[in-house]
Amino acid sequence: MRLLMWWSGRALSSAATLLGVSVLIFAAVRLMPGGFAETVLGPFATPEQKAELAARYGLDQPVFVQYGHWLAAVAGGDFGFSMISRQPVGAELLARLPITAELTVLAVAASVLLGVPLGVLTAVRARPTGGGAAGRLLSGLGVSVPEFVLGSLVVFVFSRYALGLQVGSWVPLTRDPAANLATMILPAAVLSVFSISVTARTTRDAVMGVLVEPYVTAAVGRGESPWSIVRHHILRNAATPVVTLIGTTTAYLLGGALIVEHVFNLPGVGSYIVQAVGRRDYAVVQAGVLLAAGVFIVMNVLIDLLVGAIDPRLGVMAGRRA
Amino acid sequence: MRYPRLACGVAAALLASACAATGTTTTPQAAAQETAAPGFLAVADQALAPGGTLNLQVHIDSGAATGYDPQLADVATTWQLLSLSYETLVTVGPDFSVQPLLAEKWDTPDDRTYVFHLRKGVAFSNGRKMTADDVVGSLKRLLASKGVWAGQLGPVDEIVKDGDDRVKVTLKEPYTPFLAALANVPAAILPMKEIGDKSVDPATTLLGTGPYVVDNHRQDVSWTFKRNDTYWNQGKPAADTLNITIAPEEAARIAALQNGGAALATLGNVDSASMLAGAKDVKVVTQATTDFYYLMLNSLKPGSKLADPKVRQAINIALDAQQIADIALGGKGKPTAITPAGLPGSCDPATLPSAAKSVEEAKKLLAEAGAEGLSFTLTIFNTEPAPAVAQVIQQNLQQAGITVKIEQMDEASWSGKVYGKAPAEFDAALSWFAGYADPGMVTKWWNPETAGFNAGFMKPDKELSTLIDAANKQAEGRDEALAQVCAKADADAQMIPLVTRPATVAYRADQLSPSLYATEGYGNVLRLVADARVKKSR
Amino acid sequence: MQPPGPGWWLGTDNLGRSVLPRVMEGVGTTLLLSSIAVLVTAVLSAAFGILAGYRGGYLNELVMRLVEVLYSFPAIVLAILVAAVLGPGQTAALASIVLVTIPLMTRLVRAAAVAVAQRDYVTSAVISGARLPRVLVRHVLPNVAGTIAVQGTYALSVGIAVEGGLSFLGFGVQPPQASLGVLIQQGGTYMIAAPWLILGPGVVLVAAILAINVVGDGLRDRLEPRETRSLT
Repeated sequence: MRLLMWWSGRALSSAATLLGVSVLIFAAVRLMPGGFAETVLGPFATPEQKAELAARYGLDQPVFVQYGHWLAAVAGGDFGFSMISRQPVGAELLARLPITAELTVLAVAASVLLGVPLGVLTAVRARPTGGGAAGRLLSGLGVSVPEFVLGSLVVFVFSRYALGLQVGSWVPLTRDPAANLATMILPAAVLSVFSISVTARTTRDAVMGVLVEPYVTAAVGRGESPWSIVRHHILRNAATPVVTLIGTTTAYLLGGALIVEHVFNLPGVGSYIVQAVGRRDYAVVQAGVLLAAGVFIVMNVLIDLLVGAIDPRLGVMAGRRA
Repeated sequence: MRYPRLACGVAAALLASACAATGTTTTPQAAAQETAAPGFLAVADQALAPGGTLNLQVHIDSGAATGYDPQLADVATTWQLLSLSYETLVTVGPDFSVQPLLAEKWDTPDDRTYVFHLRKGVAFSNGRKMTADDVVGSLKRLLASKGVWAGQLGPVDEIVKDGDDRVKVTLKEPYTPFLAALANVPAAILPMKEIGDKSVDPATTLLGTGPYVVDNHRQDVSWTFKRNDTYWNQGKPAADTLNITIAPEEAARIAALQNGGAALATLGNVDSASMLAGAKDVKVVTQATTDFYYLMLNSLKPGSKLADPKVRQAINIALDAQQIADIALGGKGKPTAITPAGLPGSCDPATLPSAAKSVEEAKKLLAEAGAEGLSFTLTIFNTEPAPAVAQVIQQNLQQAGITVKIEQMDEASWSGKVYGKAPAEFDAALSWFAGYADPGMVTKWWNPETAGFNAGFMKPDKELSTLIDAANKQAEGRDEALAQVCAKADADAQMIPLVTRPATVAYRADQLSPSLYATEGYGNVLRLVADARVKKSR
Repeated sequence: MQPPGPGWWLGTDNLGRSVLPRVMEGVGTTLLLSSIAVLVTAVLSAAFGILAGYRGGYLNELVMRLVEVLYSFPAIVLAILVAAVLGPGQTAALASIVLVTIPLMTRLVRAAAVAVAQRDYVTSAVISGARLPRVLVRHVLPNVAGTIAVQGTYALSVGIAVEGGLSFLGFGVQPPQASLGVLIQQGGTYMIAAPWLILGPGVVLVAAILAINVVGDGLRDRLEPRETRSLT
C-alpha cells in the first residue's frame, strides 16, 4: 500500500516536472528574438506573406492560447509541422530517434562492459600509491575531455590518415548494418569516453565504500578468496549507486549525442534540435527539447524502479536522489 | 547550423564565392591536369561508360515555407537542387552565354518580341508530353506569383501560344536581361495541366522535364535522385542515381572526400584548396561566380550619421576591396562594382569615383559632415568568411579614423535584426547577393521600391532608379549606361559592393569525371551533373 | 598558417596571427566567464538551498520543483535554448552556465541544510531568540560551506565545458573575441591543414578541466573523508 502510494506520488511529481519543462520550453521559444518569418520566408517576403505564415502556424494568437493548443496536441501525440520541411515533426523525430538511441546504447554498453570492471579492479587493487593512481588519472582525464574536443580530433585523425573507419558519410542501419556500424563506432566511442570514466570512478567509490563494511571484514577473516568476496558481497551491495549512475548517464548522453551528431554529421535528434534553433523552427525546437527532457524524467523513474527491485529498502524509504 | 543565406536571391552562405574571372584549378597535379575546354573547369570523359551511383555532399538543404515550388524559390541552394528535376526554356552556358534548352531556338522579330520554338519530344517525368500550354501557363503563373523572380522577368506585356510548338512573349518595352532571367530555375516549365486539375501540388511534388526524379528527400539529411527514363536528351543523365548528403560541417565534408564517402562536395572555406592539397585523388577547383559581398549602411535609423551621403562616401572611399579579397578571401575574390565583376559588360571597379580617392579625402568628407570620430556597429552573421571580411573592413575604416564595433550573431538572429523591422535598428550590416547572369539584373536591388527587403534601411534614389531602368532597356551602348549606374550607386553608398565570392568544389578524380563551368551566375554547382561520369561505383 | 616554431610556439592562424596570445585571451575569457557564472550559481544556490532546507514547507516544494525542472534538461540543450533567447554571446554563455550548474548545487546545499537544521546548536540558537537571518548566516551557512566549495569547483569545470560546447556550436562567445570554445570551433575549420590550431586550445581546455577536477576531488576527500582498504 505504501509502495503504491509512493509510486503514484512519484508519477504525479514527474508529470508536474514535465509540465514545468513544457512551460519553460514554450516560453523560451516564444522569447527568441529574430524573426522566424525572415528566416523561414527569406528577406523578399512581403508583410502579407509573413502574416499569412504566422496565421498558418497559429502564431498570431495570444501566447497562452498557443501554449494550450500545443499542449493539447502534444498530449494527443501531435507535435505539429516543421516550418522548414512542412513535414510532421513527430514522424521526423521518430525517424531520427533510432540514430540517437543507437549511439546511446553503444555508449552505455561500453560503460557497463568497460567501466564497471575497471572500477572494481581499481578499487580492489587500490593501494595508497601505485596502480590505483594510474587508473584514477586515466578516468580523471576521461571525464575532463569534452565531446567537441575529442570529436574534432577524431574527425581529424581519421580523415587525415585513412584508418579504415568512415567519417562524415552515415549509412542507414536498414541499408547496410555492417557499414552502419563502421560509421557509428567512432561517434559512439567519442561519446562513451566520458561515461566509461564516470562509471569506473563511481564503481570504484561504491566498491571502496562497501569494502570497509563489517561483512567484508568478516569474509576476509573467514579466508574467502578475493573474487568470491567481490562476487558475493561487493557487487550486490555496490550495485545501487552504479545503476543510478548508469541511468543518469544515459540521460546525460542525450546531451553529448547532440554535439557528437553535429561533429560527425549524423542525422539524429540532437542535430535536428541544433538546426531547428538555428532556423527558429519553433515546432521542432519545442518537440525536440521536450523529448530530451521527457526521456530524462522517464529514465529517472525507471532508475527508481530498478533500484527498488535491487534493494527494496532504498527505493521507497530514502527518496533516493542524492 | 548554417542556414539559407538571406541575401537576395542567393544561397547557402558558404556555397559560392568568386575567384578571378576565369576559374582556377588548384591541385597538386595541376600541371598534369587535362586542359578543359574554354569556359570549363572540367569536362566529363565521354569515353567512360554511363551508369552508376554518384555520392555528393553539399552544405545546406533547400528549405523554405514555400516548399518545392520553383517559382517561389529565392535561394541558390534551392535552385541547385530543383534544377535536377526542372528545366527552363533557355539556360546559361559557358561564360554566361544564353543557350537553348526546352526552346530549340528563338527569334526576336523586334526588340520587344521573343518567339520561342519549343523542343519536340520533351515529356514530364510522368510521361506526359510538354505542350505550349504548359509554357504559357508556367510563365503566366510566375508573373502572377509573389515570387521575387516575377520582378526579374521584366515588363512582360503578353504571353501567347503561337501554334502548337511556339510561344510568343511581348514586352512593354525592351528589356535586355530577359533571356538571362528566363534561364533561372524560378522560370522553369511546370506541368500546368496537372497543377490546374490539382493532381499535382508543386509545393510538395517535383514533376518536371529534367534529367532526374526525386526518389526520396529527408529535410536537412539527404536527397536521392533517380534518372528520369523519359528524359528527352538521349544519353543523359549519365549517372543512374544521385545521393546528395546535407553536411553543414565543413570538416565532415572534407573527411568524406578524403575517405571516399563523397565523390564531390562543395566547400566553404577559402583555404580548402590548400587543406586538401596533399589528399590523394582529390581535386579542388574554384568556380568564378557573380555573387558578391556588400556592405549595408542604414540611412533610415533616426539620428544616425550614416544618413549623410558624405559620411557614407567617406566610408566607401576608406574601404579597400582588394585587401578584403586578398586577406579575407584568400586572394580568390575580386573587387566589384554594383555590376558583378566578371560578367560581360560589367563596370571596372577601378574606374569608380571612390576608387580614385585617398583616405585623406575620406577624412575631409567626415570633417565636412561633422562626423569626426565616427563610430558604428557592423552586424554580421557568423558564417565564414563573413567574420574575416568584417575584420578587414574594421581595419580599413580605422585608417580614416572610423571605429567599427563588430557584432556577430547566428544567421537567424542576424536576419531578424536586419530585415525584421522598418526602420531597421542596425547601423551597418554585411551580406552577399547572387550576381545572376546579366550585369543589369542585380542592380535592380538598389531600388528599394522594387526590392522590398531593403526598404527598412535604404532610401530610394530617384536618379539611380531611373539610370538602372534605362540601362536594362538598352541593348546598344549599354556599357555606357551601366557605367553611369555604377558611378551613381558608388556615390549613393547605401549598399556598397565589395568583392565577389568564389565557389569551391572538390571531387575525387578516381571516382568521378565531372563537367563544371568556369563561371556561374546562379550559384548552381550541380548545373552539369547530368554529364558527370562515375568511374567506379561504391 | 605556420606550424609551431620559434616566435609562435603554438603556430599561427589563417589571418597570420600567433595562436599563443589568442589561446591566452581565450583562457582568460573562458575562465572569467565560468568563474563569474559559478559565483552567481554559488550565491543563488546557497540562498535558495539554505532557505528551502531550513524552512521546508511550500518554499522548499517550490524551489525543489524549479530545480527539478531545470535538472531535466540535458546541459547543452538548456544552454542552446538560453543562447537562442538571449542571442549568442557572453551573456548567453554566462546565463547558460548558471542555469546548468544551479540545480545540482541547490539540491546538495539543501540536503546539507536539512541535516544542519536539526542540530542542537541551531535549535538552541533559535530558542535563545536569534532571528532567522542570523541563524542562517551564523549557524547554517558555515556548515554547508564545504558542500558549496566542492560543488563550486566541479561547477567551474562544467562551466568551462558548457562555454566551450556552446561556442563550438556557434551560440556562445562570438569572434573576434577569443574563448577556448571559439578557438576550437575555428580551428576545426582548418584542421586538416593546421591541426595545431585545434590542438593548442584543445589541450589547454582539457588541462584546465582536469586541474579543476583534481582540486575538486582533493577538496572532497578532505571535507568528506572516507576509509579505504585493500583486499589484497
